[in-house]
Amino acid sequence: MMSWHQSPHVRTFKLFAIVVAVCLASFYLFSSVLVPVIISFTFYALFEPATLFLVRHNVNRSLSILIVLVLLLITSLLMIGLALPALFDQVSLMQSKLPQIARQLEALVSRYGELMSTGFGADLDISQIILSVVSESASLGQSALIKVSNSLLNFLIIFILVPFLTYYLLKDFKRVRNEIMNWLPNSSFELGWLIYHNVSRQLNAYTRGVMTQSLIMATICAIGFTLIGLDIPVLMGFITGILNLVPYVGPLVSILLSLLVGAAMTPFDPAVLYLGVAVILFAQLFDNLVVIPAVVANAVDLHPVQAILGIIIFGSLFGTLGVILAVPAIAAAKIVIRNIYADMANASLEFES
Amino acid sequence: MDNIFWSNIFRSGDSELQTIARLWQQTPLFDDIPERQIELLCGKMHLRRFEEGETVFKQGDQGAGAILVLEGGVRIMADKTELARLESGDFFGEIALAAPERRTADAIATRASRLVYMLRQDLEEWIEYQPRLGARFLLNLSAALAQRLFEANRRLATQQ
Repeated sequence: MMSWHQSPHVRTFKLFAIVVAVCLASFYLFSSVLVPVIISFTFYALFEPATLFLVRHNVNRSLSILIVLVLLLITSLLMIGLALPALFDQVSLMQSKLPQIARQLEALVSRYGELMSTGFGADLDISQIILSVVSESASLGQSALIKVSNSLLNFLIIFILVPFLTYYLLKDFKRVRNEIMNWLPNSSFELGWLIYHNVSRQLNAYTRGVMTQSLIMATICAIGFTLIGLDIPVLMGFITGILNLVPYVGPLVSILLSLLVGAAMTPFDPAVLYLGVAVILFAQLFDNLVVIPAVVANAVDLHPVQAILGIIIFGSLFGTLGVILAVPAIAAAKIVIRNIYADMANASLEFES
Repeated sequence: MDNIFWSNIFRSGDSELQTIARLWQQTPLFDDIPERQIELLCGKMHLRRFEEGETVFKQGDQGAGAILVLEGGVRIMADKTELARLESGDFFGEIALAAPERRTADAIATRASRLVYMLRQDLEEWIEYQPRLGARFLLNLSAALAQRLFEANRRLATQQ
């Protein structure tokens, strides 16, 4: 008879708890360089195929990496030179507009509140509640924007560190990974590699898919916002693209944001408001019908409820980074649990026989 | 005597790599694949040491790749019946290269052994570099698996 602590569930839980503890300890250890490390790994996933392409065409590996990184650097410098000043202008415009956005929203909410009380005879105090929420988020948003535009130093650190890290990841990651995996004992060697294989495949597919998806969304929205005459169209497109990194919640927040920007425009034009929402809905439709089936489908095996709960929990634990990393982290955790459990269940069968 | 300034300091490592490459080259998996490419792939493989009587894998375990016996020996067992004894140059577990299937038998080291793992991960990464040779390897793998299936069927037929 098997005792409870030999049950595959308990043993899986124990082993998974160790994996989580190691991950959290590494997060804590590397917390000061976590953002550049994550960005570098993202670039690694994105540019490994380009490096492989050059190597396949008989270009030396180190030279291939250099070519890819130089191209990346030139593109980044061009973007900084051309787009960033405009983007910073739009950030400061957004900053100046935030109080106005809050006022416009106040006016809208109180108008609809009056309509509700006269139409339905209900004297609701919801408007007051919404007003406090809006003014709170406006001040939060304003301080966040100030933070963003003031964190030039952080940006510079990332800008210098990321190319170095990406170069060494592209050059040596597989060798270092093999050495680390060699530390595994014989009994877990194959299981360890199997988990690594499945997790890395899913994370690579997810990263490549989501980055492509965000780029397409940002482009569609920036063009759409420019065409309908919404204020700060490039910044809004850029933000919509970034928000798209957060499944389910991101698109809703981007709709809310475009409504706020539309509401703050002077003179106030409701048509722009509706068209702004239409642009995002069109982009979402295109995303769901064309982009997701082509580039993201099956990248992660997660139920929407798992994803949303994960985003909320990770967001409250790790902030913005947690919100972005929630979906890939939960998908990876699912693979780890599934593989460990399969191994433990097989070991238990053998124990019982 | 070797000149210590001009001799290749990596020679000892290289000769082991060449031994591993030569052993793989003699298997049907590497038919028509150039020696240099086999050496490149062998450079990514994983060498593991096993003690006498140590389990390499158990029936029902999830397999991650094929294994070559470099030194020592391995006994393949299923339901307490010995199916095969493998020596240096033999390989086993190649089903795991084709599909993430569970191991169908136990493998136990019969003496202190050194085994070389060619993992599905290594194979996929090599195929990304060498798609044409990768296709040749997969054809060889299919032929090897078909041969194993044919032999298993023949053994079943003679038992009946």
